[in-house]
Formats: sequence, structure tokens, C-alpha cells
Amino acid sequence: MSPAPTDRERAGVVRIEQYRDRTGGTTSGSDAIAISAQHVTQRFEGSDRQHSVLALDDLSLEIREGEFLCLLGPSGCGKSTLLNIIGGMTKPTAGEVRIGGRALIGPAPREVAFVFQESTLFPWYTVIENFAVASEFQGRKSGWEERARGALRAVGMEGFAGHYPNQLSIGMRQRINLARALFLDTPILLMDEPFAALDEQTRMVLGEDLSVLLARTGKTIVFVTHSLAEAVFLADRVVVMTARPGRIKAVSAIDEPHPRSPDFMLTPRFSEMRNALFALLRDEIRHTVAEMREARDERAGSNPDV
Amino acid sequence: MSAALASRFGIRVQRMVLLLALFLLWEITARLFGDPGMIAAPSQVLGALGPRIFGDPRVLSAIGLTLFELTVAFICSVVFGVVIGLAIGSSSISRRGLMPIVLLLYAIPQAILLPLFVLTLGIGPLCKIAFGFSHGVFPVILSTVAGLRGASPLLLSGARSMGAGRLQIVRHLLFPHMVSVLFAGLRLAMTLTLLGVLLAELFVSTTGIGYFSQVFAQTFDPAPLFALIATLAAMAVALNETVRTIERRFTRWK
Amino acid sequence: MSARDRTPMFESKSAAMRAVQVGFLGLLLGLWFIATSVTQVHRLLLPDPPQVWHEMQRLVVTGELWRAARVTLLTVGQAYGIAVASGLLIGFCVSRSRHAVRLLEPVLSGFFAIPLTLFFPLFILFFGIGTASKLAYGALYALLPVALASIAAFARIDPLLIRAAAAMGARPAALLHRVYLPAALPGVLSGMRIALVICIAAVLGGETLVSTAGVGYAIKVAEELMEVARMYAWLIFVVLASFALNMLLSMAERWSVEP
Repeated sequence: MSPAPTDRERAGVVRIEQYRDRTGGTTSGSDAIAISAQHVTQRFEGSDRQHSVLALDDLSLEIREGEFLCLLGPSGCGKSTLLNIIGGMTKPTAGEVRIGGRALIGPAPREVAFVFQESTLFPWYTVIENFAVASEFQGRKSGWEERARGALRAVGMEGFAGHYPNQLSIGMRQRINLARALFLDTPILLMDEPFAALDEQTRMVLGEDLSVLLARTGKTIVFVTHSLAEAVFLADRVVVMTARPGRIKAVSAIDEPHPRSPDFMLTPRFSEMRNALFALLRDEIRHTVAEMREARDERAGSNPDV
Repeated sequence: MSAALASRFGIRVQRMVLLLALFLLWEITARLFGDPGMIAAPSQVLGALGPRIFGDPRVLSAIGLTLFELTVAFICSVVFGVVIGLAIGSSSISRRGLMPIVLLLYAIPQAILLPLFVLTLGIGPLCKIAFGFSHGVFPVILSTVAGLRGASPLLLSGARSMGAGRLQIVRHLLFPHMVSVLFAGLRLAMTLTLLGVLLAELFVSTTGIGYFSQVFAQTFDPAPLFALIATLAAMAVALNETVRTIERRFTRWK
Repeated sequence: MSARDRTPMFESKSAAMRAVQVGFLGLLLGLWFIATSVTQVHRLLLPDPPQVWHEMQRLVVTGELWRAARVTLLTVGQAYGIAVASGLLIGFCVSRSRHAVRLLEPVLSGFFAIPLTLFFPLFILFFGIGTASKLAYGALYALLPVALASIAAFARIDPLLIRAAAAMGARPAALLHRVYLPAALPGVLSGMRIALVICIAAVLGGETLVSTAGVGYAIKVAEELMEVARMYAWLIFVVLASFALNMLLSMAERWSVEP
């Protein structure tokens, strides 16, 4: 017999289901800063050759409450690293991250929920058991079951609560991962290429659903992606990063209210913004490819048998 | 769907037919060409099963003793194997230092140690249990150590991001993963334990099934020998299937 | 993934690892010396280290080591040869028909679950006490992994490769030589490595149980005559040989991965 859910928790459940109309341009939501990253530098020590890698170079970024921000950049530019840093999973070599004004010193399970590229559901627990364990980790045990079923309903997976993850397709598993992140009821959602392992069609459908969810819940979402179309479709702002070492090259604003319909992708505005982003990225991609070729030649040079 | 079922049903039936054909071949060859001191036809083997094996209390108790030794050796292998595996696998230094030693010990052909076991532990059940244990403990240790290592770093990140503490990570991530890997190694442990116990039993030919197999062989009495071996083989298969069933029950989620 | 997953390699860790191994070995030797000199452990169970060392030298000097080892090695060589040849043949033939694979492979794997040791008395019945029984036993035991690995290796060759080669005009002999064998080689080799270890263990087992010559027999004789120091001497030689073989096999495996 669990105690009746508190008003806040009930509000959490209700918030998912209630439609909340959102208008507004670039300054979507409030002007309050959800996450502030100042002069973040990340250096990885070399494994065998004393070669340290500078992944992020003096990067500063402010993410507003309620906005959908995309991190876009070539492979290896440090976008995943940056995401881990602002989520408290990695401590930066230099610089500071503040969430809601307070300095971040480690994982912040009540402020930040992650969705990774692959499913992080425990395969030996059923879907609903995974939610139970998640609430145990977070330390928020009461009323979890109702919230869990609500979250599953929001992504259309409520019928699969008793299934094991391996009985479900990858697309279904990622939906459940998303549901679990929503279930944790955190103000911030960090997503690291969550749709990368899915096929094109599932990606589009889930992207649409995400836009709808964003409109309903007002969470702050930071989304890492490779895909230009995904970035333009989902984001309020797109941060374009340079090739390694990662710096902010440009920040573009996408002026279109959420929820966005697939028709948005057919507008000339969409193509313009997409092309603009590509122009920004192209040089960085070329740079990354050249660097990879250089590194490969260097390795080949030191090993005559290759 | 029905076509697939039919073909699967067909395969099983075909295998049965093949086995029956082989049995028939065996029966005919044994009756017509076989030296009666060396080969027994299946019908004769079946005939001997009743009176000479199940009907003979001495043979039956020898088989029972073997089963007992096997069970004890297997349980010891699992218990001690997990404990040792946990001790070795708990830290990176102990693992990288001690695992090569364990692997080298595993590589020694253990048959040569049999005389030493008998010398030290006598010819009773203890030496057979010990020898079976020395065979079966290794795959358990290896599986336990592998299980401790192989937990997915992605799952670890996920758990940490949700605020999991060290104890919670052990309970919900490391332990279930280890158990799943362990079960995979249990069937091998059963087979090897059986190997060890059998070798020891055959070596000590003064009692037990070693005695009876030697007697049957030396008196050129193949029917009961075949029957004894068949009974032991059936026991081996049954034990293997039991472990497999237990494994499947605990890894339903795979 | 995250930076935390990337742990730097500490040079001191491998030194610590070596220290543990050397320490373990030293501990064993130390315990042996202490046990024999201080405690009352029966000389019949644990001989003096100097005595064992003396026996080891004696075995080498009198040629007894080599005589017994030669018998064992010869038997292993013959058994292994038979096992590999017939295993490859069986594996290749079975792999030709998908139907045969589905029919027979589970049967062969099932056999692996029953230790062939169970059937050893049959070998004695058929071949008597002597070389033939342990030869047949070793050969049969080693045949299984070779056959299973060959079936898997040959059956899994991409049929596209075969069709492409045939389309380019390759005749059956060339096809066999240039496509089948190289493609199946890694799988077959790994099966052969397992088979070698199994063959040696089986032959030694056979020698311990019955037989009139060889290393296993020598150990058994030493035990029967209660010549414990000699038995330990033999054991140390075999253990050292197995370490050496193990190292050779790991090197061969690493070599086969990056030729």
C-alpha cells in the first residue's frame, strides 16, 4: 500500500498528458538559465605514447530553461564529451558547470536524465522492474508505479510493461529508454544520438513524438546528433561545433514553435537553414577526414608491415 | 509456420530413423560377424540390463556411489569455484596476477595427477570426489571471473547517471551479470567433473564401477559391460540436461 | 563513451602483477621446504625437495625421461594425425550438405557432453592392454573437436565467394585449394589446437589407466612402488612441458590472427 502521490508527483504525471500550447520564437520558455558551462576544457591523457588529446577547448555555453538545444558537429568533435560534462558524468579538466545556479560535482539524478545511443535497460529485469530499479537509484520510491505506467503510456508502450528488453525491437527499447528518462521527472533531459541505431522511418516517427513531448512538458533538452535534418527539425537553437579540439563555431536559432509537424520539413525555410548548417559544417568535416588520414598514415609509417 | 514445424518435426524423426538404422546395423553385424567375446548386439545388451546391472545390487550400488561422488564433487566445484573466482576477480591486480596461474594449472593434463591423488587420499570416495572437484572447479572460476569483468560499461554509465550507489550497482548490475555468465559455465563444469570422477573410478579397479568394468572386460563378457556403460552414459546425459534446464530457468530473459 | 571509461594504463600495474605471480611461486616453494623440514608430514606424501631434484637429474641422465617421453609423443603424434585427417574429411563431407549438417551436428556436439572416458573399458576390450587402446582412445577423443570445427568452418564459407570463383573459371581442384581451404583455415586451426590439448590429455589418461610404457605409465609405476620422489620428479617435468606447450599454442594463435 503506497501512500497517495504528492501533488508534485501527480502534477508530473498530469504534465505529460496535458497538452500545453507553446508559442514563442528563439527565446522559447523563460529567460532563466538551466545549465551554464563556463570555460570548459577537456584533455584526455594518452594511453601509451604520452599523447594527450584536447577534446574541448575553453568552451562556454548557456542553455535556457525549456529550450531544445542541439549539439551538431563532425565525429570526434567532442559533442558526447560535452554532454557528459554538463550532465555531471565526467569532471572537466578545467572550467565549471552550474545547474540551476549550483556548481555541478557529479551525477545529478534529480536534475538530469540521460538517454544514450543504445538501450541502458537491464536485460535481466522486465520493463516495469527496470523502472522500479531506476526509482530506487534516484531515491524517489513512493508512487513510482503510477508514474512509470504514465510514462510508458506517453510513448505508447504501456502494453509491454511485463516484457523483457530482449523480447522487444530496438525501436521499442529506445522508446522505453525515453519513457524511463521522462519517468525520472527531471527538468533536464540529455540525449546522445538516441536515434542513431534506428532505421530512417522509426527515427522520423520518434523525432515527431519527441517534438510533441517537448511541447507538453516544457523540459530543457540537449540533443547530440550527426543529422542536419534532425537538428533543424527538433531544435530551438543549434550549436555547431568545430572539429577536434571542440569549440563553438556558431549558434543558429530555429524560429518555429513546437510541436512541429513533418510539413515543416517541406518548407523552403527548413532547406535554407539546413543548407546554412551544412555550409558551416562542411569545412569541419573535411578537416576531420584529413586528420584521420594523417593519423592513419602516421601509424602506417611506424609499422612497415601494414 | 506449419512448413517450418513440419521440417523441424522431420529433422527429429530423421535423426531417430538414422539412429535406429545404426542400431539395426550394429545388431546385424554383431550377430553375424562379431566376435562374441568382444561385441554384444543391442538386443543382448538390453537383455543384460535387467539381470546383470539393475538386478545386481553390487553393480547398482557402485553406480549409486559414482552418482553420489559426482554430485558432491559438482557442488564443491560450484561453491569453491565461485568463492575463488570472486576473490581473484574482485580487483584488477589480483586478477591479472593470479589468472595466468589459474590458466596454466588448467592446462596441465590432470590424468597424470591421478596416482598422486590416490596416494594421498586413498582409494575410497574421497579421492574420486577430490579428483572430480579438481576438474570441475576451473570452468567455474573462469566463468565467475569473466562474469565480474564483462558488465557493460554502457549499463554502468546509465546506472550512475540515475544516481546508483556502489552497493546498488553491485546488486542490480554486477551480480545478475555474473550469475548469467556463471550458468553458461556450469554445463562444462558438470561434464568435466564427470570426467574426473570417471577417470578416478576406472583407475581404482579394486572397487566400484572400475572393478566391474575391468571384470567384464577381462572375462570377455561384453553384454553387461555395454549395459553398464550405457547406463552411465544415460546418467551423464540426464545430469547435463538437468543443468541445462536450471540454466534456462534462470536466464529466461535472454 | 564518457572519459571515465577510459582509464590510463599504469606502468606500475604490470610490475605489481609480476610481483604477485613470483610471490605465489615463491610461496609454494617456501611452503614445500618448510613442510618437509619442520612439520611431520609423512615422507611418503611429500618428499624432500632435494630428493626430488636428485630424481629429476637421474631421470634425465639415465635417459629414462626421454625413453618414456618418446613413447608418449609417438602415440600422441599418431593419434593426432589420425584424428586430424579423419576429422577434416568427415567435417568437409558433412558440410557439403546443409541437411547433413542439421542432422548430424547436434549429435556430434551431444557426444562432447558425454566424456569419452566412459567408453574406455570398451577400448580395452577391443584393443587389449597396450598401445593400440590408448592410440584409438586419443584419436577418437581428438577427432570430435576437429570434425565439429571443420563442419562449422566449411559450412560457413560464403557461397558467394565460391560462385564468384567458379564463374571466373576455377576447376574443382583449384576451387578446393584456393577458396575452400584458405577460407576454412582459421576455424579448422582453432579446432586443431583444442584437439591437440585433448589428445595429449587422453593419451596420458590412457597410459595412466592401462598400458605398458610411456609417461603416464611411468608415473603410475612410481606410485605403485611408493617411489614418491620419482613420481614428483615426473610430475614436475610434465607440468613444465604443459606450460611450454601452452605458451607455444598461445603464440601460434596470436600469429594466426596477424600473419
